[in-house]
Amino acid sequence: MNIAVCIKQVPDTETKIKISDDKKSIVESDINFILNPYDEFGVEEALKLTDPENITIISLGPDRVTSAIRSALAMGAKNAIHIKTDSTPADPGITADALASVLKEGNYDLIFTGKQAIDDDHAQMASLLAEKMDIPAVNVVIKLNVENGTVMAEREIEGAHEIFECATPCIISAQRGLNEPRYASLKGIMGAKKVKIEEKDVTLSESNLEVVEYNYPAEKAAGKIVGDSADAVPELLRLLNEEAKVI
Amino acid sequence: MSGIKPSFSKALFSGLIMEDLVFPYPKMDKEEAENIKMIVESFNKFAADKIDATQIDLDAKIPTEVIDGLKELGFFGLNTPEKYDGFGLGSGGFTKMLSAISEVDSSVSLTIGAHQSIGIKALNLFGSEEQKKKYLPKLVTGEMIGAFCLTEPGAGSDAAGIKTKAVRDEENGYYILNGSKIWITNGGIADFFTVFAKEELEINGEVKEKISAFIVTTEMEGVSKGKEESKLGIKGSSTTEIFFEDVKVPLENVIGERGKGFKIAMEVLNSGRLGLAGGTLGGFKFIIKTTMDQITQRKQFKKNIAEFEAIKKKVAQMTIDFYVAESMIYLTTALVDRGDVDYSLESAMCKVFTTDIAWTGVNECLQMAGGLGYMKEYPYERLVRDCRINMIFEGTNEILRLFIALSGVQERGEYLKKIGKALKDPIKGFGLLTDFATDWVKDKIITERIREVHPSLTSSKTQFENYSKNLRFSVERILMEHGRDIIYREMITTRLADAAIDLYAMIATISRVDTRIKEIGEEKCDKEIKICNTFCEQAWRRVRRNLLMIDKNNDDVLKEISEFITEEKEYPFMTE
Ligand SMILES: Cc1cc2nc3c(=O)[nH]c(=O)nc-3n(C[C@H](O)[C@H](O)[C@H](O)COP(=O)(O)OP(=O)(O)OC[C@H]3O[C@@H](n4cnc5c(N)ncnc54)[C@H](O)[C@@H]3O)c2cc1C
Repeated sequence: MNIAVCIKQVPDTETKIKISDDKKSIVESDINFILNPYDEFGVEEALKLTDPENITIISLGPDRVTSAIRSALAMGAKNAIHIKTDSTPADPGITADALASVLKEGNYDLIFTGKQAIDDDHAQMASLLAEKMDIPAVNVVIKLNVENGTVMAEREIEGAHEIFECATPCIISAQRGLNEPRYASLKGIMGAKKVKIEEKDVTLSESNLEVVEYNYPAEKAAGKIVGDSADAVPELLRLLNEEAKVI
Repeated sequence: MSGIKPSFSKALFSGLIMEDLVFPYPKMDKEEAENIKMIVESFNKFAADKIDATQIDLDAKIPTEVIDGLKELGFFGLNTPEKYDGFGLGSGGFTKMLSAISEVDSSVSLTIGAHQSIGIKALNLFGSEEQKKKYLPKLVTGEMIGAFCLTEPGAGSDAAGIKTKAVRDEENGYYILNGSKIWITNGGIADFFTVFAKEELEINGEVKEKISAFIVTTEMEGVSKGKEESKLGIKGSSTTEIFFEDVKVPLENVIGERGKGFKIAMEVLNSGRLGLAGGTLGGFKFIIKTTMDQITQRKQFKKNIAEFEAIKKKVAQMTIDFYVAESMIYLTTALVDRGDVDYSLESAMCKVFTTDIAWTGVNECLQMAGGLGYMKEYPYERLVRDCRINMIFEGTNEILRLFIALSGVQERGEYLKKIGKALKDPIKGFGLLTDFATDWVKDKIITERIREVHPSLTSSKTQFENYSKNLRFSVERILMEHGRDIIYREMITTRLADAAIDLYAMIATISRVDTRIKEIGEEKCDKEIKICNTFCEQAWRRVRRNLLMIDKNNDDVLKEISEFITEEKEYPFMTE
């Protein structure tokens, strides 16, 4: 079984985000970039389903994304494609076009994405790819079973679990709980160095979205401690009702 | 003069600056840096899920699951060459790893560090091909864990005084080993011991007791372990006594040359001290972060604690000290990694400087947290306890200061003896070069001045140059006044060591900032320039004071008071 795992490089959640002067982008120079955590579930699932030689990591972006590719390879995968661009497109549609064109060239039975990237949180990639490649997608999957070209994918919905069946090739977006991603061992990390990352140039499609501006979220007001015994409950209720207006 | 490696600090005691050894500031190879980043990231993920430092401290034990996980990740083979299935990290990379691990937990870091920095280091450095092939593949996976057995109940700082005995039985092909070792890190979990013991050797027709290094494994009959020691800190690490009773150690288990055990032990510790220094910084870094969160939130007098000037002074000083220690450490690891220089003094300097500033700094962090810092619920008190050991093991800071000063003085002394008359005319004598430099000098720059640094660092550079020269003058005066007796004049040698440490700290920091300015420009280095210049300002004043006090001091009175109390054996005065 051939599997492609689409991954994205994203800022570490602990990074303090700085917005550029023109407000159109974030300042990248001091950012610690990591492999998108949801994509790790995809990599792990692929490793469980097939031989590392049959897994291809695919990522689109500037040169820096190779370090995220290496992180995925360090978990065990043995092939990688870097679709080179000057920056990460703000419109997920553009990324999907480019990924789809590369994915179509490969003969993949399964394609993983994370359920969302933790930077822009669009959560669209699996659906966009499915549309552009004309194959089924199951989103936010927490359990997966693949046998003889049939995929059983389980997802959590409000108050129930939904189980889908579909044929390969198909797209799965991975949710936390799908598995426990392995920690990259030193052996894996050194092994990842030996994999040659295939580079692809693409012409990006026109963007349908434009970033108007980035703004910082409003600063959170300091917390308030009303008291530390049962006596404080009435006041707490009053504040929750009148000030916070949550009850 | 072949075989003598150049030493920056030994040269410094002669007033010479081996500039090429410290400029430009070394940069880790890009690929290795990327490897380290990935390994650290992987470790941090593992740690976030599996390592609970508070619990490890409470239980005085690292869970087996954690040790097993670290084995799987490959953390027991960090600095063993790839040829023996290790990951071949250099000294810089290895030190960075220990630092990162210590940010999470010092006991875990010590367990991994003692295994590789000292436990199996003699095997890696001096072992035969057969020995390496036999043991290293098991040691890098953690299937076997290593420990370093030097200290004995009667021999701590005076390691040459060990009593453990190995009697060679040529006929049967083994040694009989008897004795015991105390406070052995990893003792309880190790199966591979590097043991130092004395054997009788015939040298020039005379039978002498000499130290040799032996591989001893737990499966050998007669090896036993004491109970786990209860300690102040690093509680999760294992510390036990190890006993050897008529242990039959195969003759082929001698590491390196017979009778060279003491030298082997010292070589191992020379490199081990850098890992220790790096680890110390890791713990310090963690508590700085914790403290900054605390003092930017806690309010008194309607202000954040961080806003008070008395606190600002502490925060600034620990930042400066941290930066300087880091500069020294990674300059020195690069000296180790280039392989052709003597770094013994520098690694001792890194150990002394770092463990001293971290002890002060971690203590100040607790102070800034106030009463909360004293509570077990918060990590401050654990960090204070954990970092206390660093000033004691792998050579106490007192012993290392003696080592630094006496090595420097000795180097100069031998040189002066050789050039004889030149002493009367130091200016003329200056042009001559010392043994350690002759080999190396050919096309390198060795002067009493540094070529050139960025103008923003000129004052620091000048201070360094001036006081390097003064160090040499002091050494010469001391030698003339005390001769061989200098080894007993510890109040003087301690000052000399402190001066030399400050000078190395200065040049390491100047080099780092200078190199950085060249790379990213002055503007972006604003804070680092200020850190460097402020430290150099503080340091040269200390150096001046230390050197002045070599001649003008109240040492005799101090000795008198001390000897008086020693006689009384208690504090003898009473208030009326
Ligand atoms: C937790 C822990 C782990 C350890 N792990 C190991 C290990 O894995 N392997 C191992 O071999 N050893 C280990 N040790 C031993 C450690 O290296 C020694 O404790 C250390 O070298 C000091 O020796 P000592 O304790 O006998 O002190 P002593 O040598 O008795 O010294 C006592 C004090 O006197 C000072 N002093 C001694 N001589 C002089 C002098 N000439 N001038 C001035 N001051 C002097 C010392 O600095 C110290 O302050 C460990 C110790 C501890 C506490």
